[in-house]
Amino acid sequence: MSTFLTYTILGLVLGSVYSIAASGLVLTYNTSGIFNFAHGAQAMFGTFLYWHVTERWGWPVWLALIVVVGLAGPAMGAALHAVIMRGLRGTADVTKIIVTVAVLLGTVYLAQWIWNPDEAHTVGMFFGAGAKITVGGVVVRYHEIVCLAAAVAIAAGLRVLFTRSRTGVVMRGSVDDPDLLRRNGHDPERAAMLSWALGSTLAVLAGVLIVPISGGGLDANALTLLVIDAFAAAMFGRLRSIPRTFAGAMVLGLAANYVLAYLPSAGTFTGNLRVSLPMIILFTVLVVLPQDRLRGAAVRTRERYRVPAVRAAAVWAAALVAAVYLYSLLLPESGVTTFALGMTFAIIALSLTVLTGYAGELNLAPLAFGAVATVVAFHFGVEGTGLAARMNIQGVLLAVVAAALVGGLVALPALRLRGLYLALATMAFGEFLSNMVLRDTTEHHLFGTTFTLFPDGSLVVPPLKVGPLDLRDGTTFLMTATVLFALIAVGLAALRNGGYGRRLAAMKDSPAASAMLGQNLVRLKLSVFMISAAIAGLGGVLMSSATGTVAQENFSFTGSLALLMLVVVAGIGYLSGALVGGLMAGVGSAVLVSTFGDLALANEGMATIYTALGHLVLVGTALVGMGVGRNPSGFVHDIIDGYRAMRDAKPVLYGAGALGAVLYVLALTDVIGTWTFALIALCAAMLLPVVGRSYLAERRTRPVPLELAGVDEPYTDELRARLDRELGLTAALEKGGARVTA
Amino acid sequence: MSLLETKAITVRFGGNTAVDDVGLTVDEGRITGLIGPNGAGKTTMFNTITGLQKPASGQVLLDGDDITKLSPAKRARRGMARTFQRLELFLSLSVRDNVRVAGDILRSGTRKRFDLDEETDKVLERTGLTDIAGRDVSDIPIGRARVVEVARALMTSPRVLLLDEPASGQTERETEAFAGMLTGLAAEGLAVCLVEHDLPLVMRLCATIHVLDYGALIASGTPREIKESPEVIAAYIGTEEASHG
Repeated sequence: MSTFLTYTILGLVLGSVYSIAASGLVLTYNTSGIFNFAHGAQAMFGTFLYWHVTERWGWPVWLALIVVVGLAGPAMGAALHAVIMRGLRGTADVTKIIVTVAVLLGTVYLAQWIWNPDEAHTVGMFFGAGAKITVGGVVVRYHEIVCLAAAVAIAAGLRVLFTRSRTGVVMRGSVDDPDLLRRNGHDPERAAMLSWALGSTLAVLAGVLIVPISGGGLDANALTLLVIDAFAAAMFGRLRSIPRTFAGAMVLGLAANYVLAYLPSAGTFTGNLRVSLPMIILFTVLVVLPQDRLRGAAVRTRERYRVPAVRAAAVWAAALVAAVYLYSLLLPESGVTTFALGMTFAIIALSLTVLTGYAGELNLAPLAFGAVATVVAFHFGVEGTGLAARMNIQGVLLAVVAAALVGGLVALPALRLRGLYLALATMAFGEFLSNMVLRDTTEHHLFGTTFTLFPDGSLVVPPLKVGPLDLRDGTTFLMTATVLFALIAVGLAALRNGGYGRRLAAMKDSPAASAMLGQNLVRLKLSVFMISAAIAGLGGVLMSSATGTVAQENFSFTGSLALLMLVVVAGIGYLSGALVGGLMAGVGSAVLVSTFGDLALANEGMATIYTALGHLVLVGTALVGMGVGRNPSGFVHDIIDGYRAMRDAKPVLYGAGALGAVLYVLALTDVIGTWTFALIALCAAMLLPVVGRSYLAERRTRPVPLELAGVDEPYTDELRARLDRELGLTAALEKGGARVTA
Repeated sequence: MSLLETKAITVRFGGNTAVDDVGLTVDEGRITGLIGPNGAGKTTMFNTITGLQKPASGQVLLDGDDITKLSPAKRARRGMARTFQRLELFLSLSVRDNVRVAGDILRSGTRKRFDLDEETDKVLERTGLTDIAGRDVSDIPIGRARVVEVARALMTSPRVLLLDEPASGQTERETEAFAGMLTGLAAEGLAVCLVEHDLPLVMRLCATIHVLDYGALIASGTPREIKESPEVIAAYIGTEEASHG
């Protein structure tokens, strides 16, 4: 009985904190229509601040609470709204999600920069862990009472705010119809700013409360994910109702503690289940949740992608293979290996191009499908041991099929969901997999066989060998990955140009109209999800074998998010966007960070600056992600447009080609270094459109079409004369002796 | 028996009854009008007939079969097609691909094989869109965009075509051509149901007209009967007064 009471109270306390975090999320979602994935990161950042002022500066708790929860919290929320979120009205779901994901990543990177993750940071309970009372044989700490009281007060307060007060009504209305509010003399932006400030405060409070009850240790990634668990509670209230969110949070907290209390504690199963429980519940709630009906309203988004013809795609693919080969000759062996790893990420990125770029659906956990494939390939495809170990092709094929099947299984119940909800379902799956499967190090006995899913918490994945093709060699690996990327990319271009691709585009643009033409949306979504998962699976197996030894961290949720964000930044609708985004996510930032790390070690005097630069690279990528709302088509789009305009500037292109060849020969003969070559080539590629444009401007002789005179071109006298001439006005006007001056 | 028939359809949004006990018929080879003041429930009827909206009670019959429980896609495969009052074009596709994709969809489910290119060209020709076939659908004028929606619907070779305000945004000349096309389609045996605010156009084209007001069917009949119906006159004059006062 006392066990039951103890765990019930612990459950209610955990539920209280979930409730505080979840109601902040509901608040911002209701007033701005943005589901804030960065909510957990805000909580984490606030908690680190709290640690900083109490532990490092030794402030008293009351002062720290006033400054961190009372001032920094709202300031953080208001700033987020003013700088980023208010610019997102009228953008696609994908863009909104990516921007908050970028905020999440940026905040995590920033926290890891300021507070060295290798040092321990602990936050204690209010009034200390010893302050407690005993009720009916059960010990209750003061801190826990504070949690309970705060949760009840906040839930009641928000309920009153939403239903009784004028401000609350304006807040609720500001997402449904901001124009109506404006006409009635309210300011929807002010209401939204207020709710962001309040939401952020609640996040920070939840962070400060939850860390002591879950061990006291502060870790940027873990704490961010801990608060994400509260998403499940918010989903109970369908992101609308505060009372139901409160109830959901309590269910969540209690369930987590009863699992601990009553399930056998041997092995890793119970512990893992307890960690994954919120995500399992989130998935279930999403699937059971009553659905919005299929509504009209084609989304008029700002994203625009050009579709390459299959032939053009094939030419580019061949050029890519050639360029990668030539470049690999310049690289040292370690460089080739790193490059190969990046290329495997680019393959995983292609899975996002087809799913999000072509079909408009989201998968927040692409790496999780890579993990599924890796586990399957490891168990069924490895031959030999030690250095002689190789992956066989059957293993890889089986892994790809398994990834596709799991993709289908995950998606099937979630496919009625759209946009945000499907994204959350994939997130739940990714987290579940990462906690249940990738940490499952115990032996299982099933149907007479004994196996361990993830022995020792890591897998050694050997390179692939097919006949004479042995991927142990770095260059062979790189070229195989590149050729696979090229083949899949051409295949996707063909897909997009065919009937299937048109159907995907139709579904993305208007599900209602596409259903009215006879399209079975569930079947189409299922198929594209499986294709996407298969590609992610293939990329995942290759990524694992390029890495060599993989563990849970290699398939982390933040890794998936960073990949998705960088692909969107590069251009999710483009095959080249997948290449650039994948390379950046896989190796780009890692290479830069380690380069700066090496530089810092080499020059002690400059160490601080180099270390700072290394961190800045990471935060910088996140900053670019936050800006994606301004340029949702991605930067590859701009580059492509730039080059498209250069088709008439042949001499510039030839000149650039010659320059490239000279540079390459210089690099090959070691006259210039590989880095110098890469830098000059990159700069030249970026600058080429600019040069081309000025070249074109100089020799522009094509006359302006008359209809456009004065529209695209300034209205000069010369043009006016031409207009008169063409319209036959000159004679008539001169005869009358008058001249019209415009 | 009419090709399309609704029986006692009632639709509620929360506590509001948007459509109340409406039964109407649409016949083959004719254009049937569905008119009424704004908010009368015309689009809600269309959504119910096509399966985008679940009715609280009542039935939708196509060719005598009860299709009330079928998904929009299944209804489409039984020969139902529609256009939307708020345009639902596929903005990332060209005009031609907007039409063609309807054929892609049709072909994906069944084993039916026909030459899609040729079929697309035929539909474009018939609807007068050939000259803008290559354009991005997002930068053509709204009047033509409405025709693209009709062309897309025709690509499915429907038996019933539901048009939701197809003439709004069209120039007079476009409307003229459009009216001619509709008459031609009906003459070939298609059942057309037209929601339209251009009353002279409706009176001219339709064999039968149903009038909705506040969700209820207040009159059904030939254009002449409708013109003389006291309920219809009251409903229209009533709203005129309401909107001017």
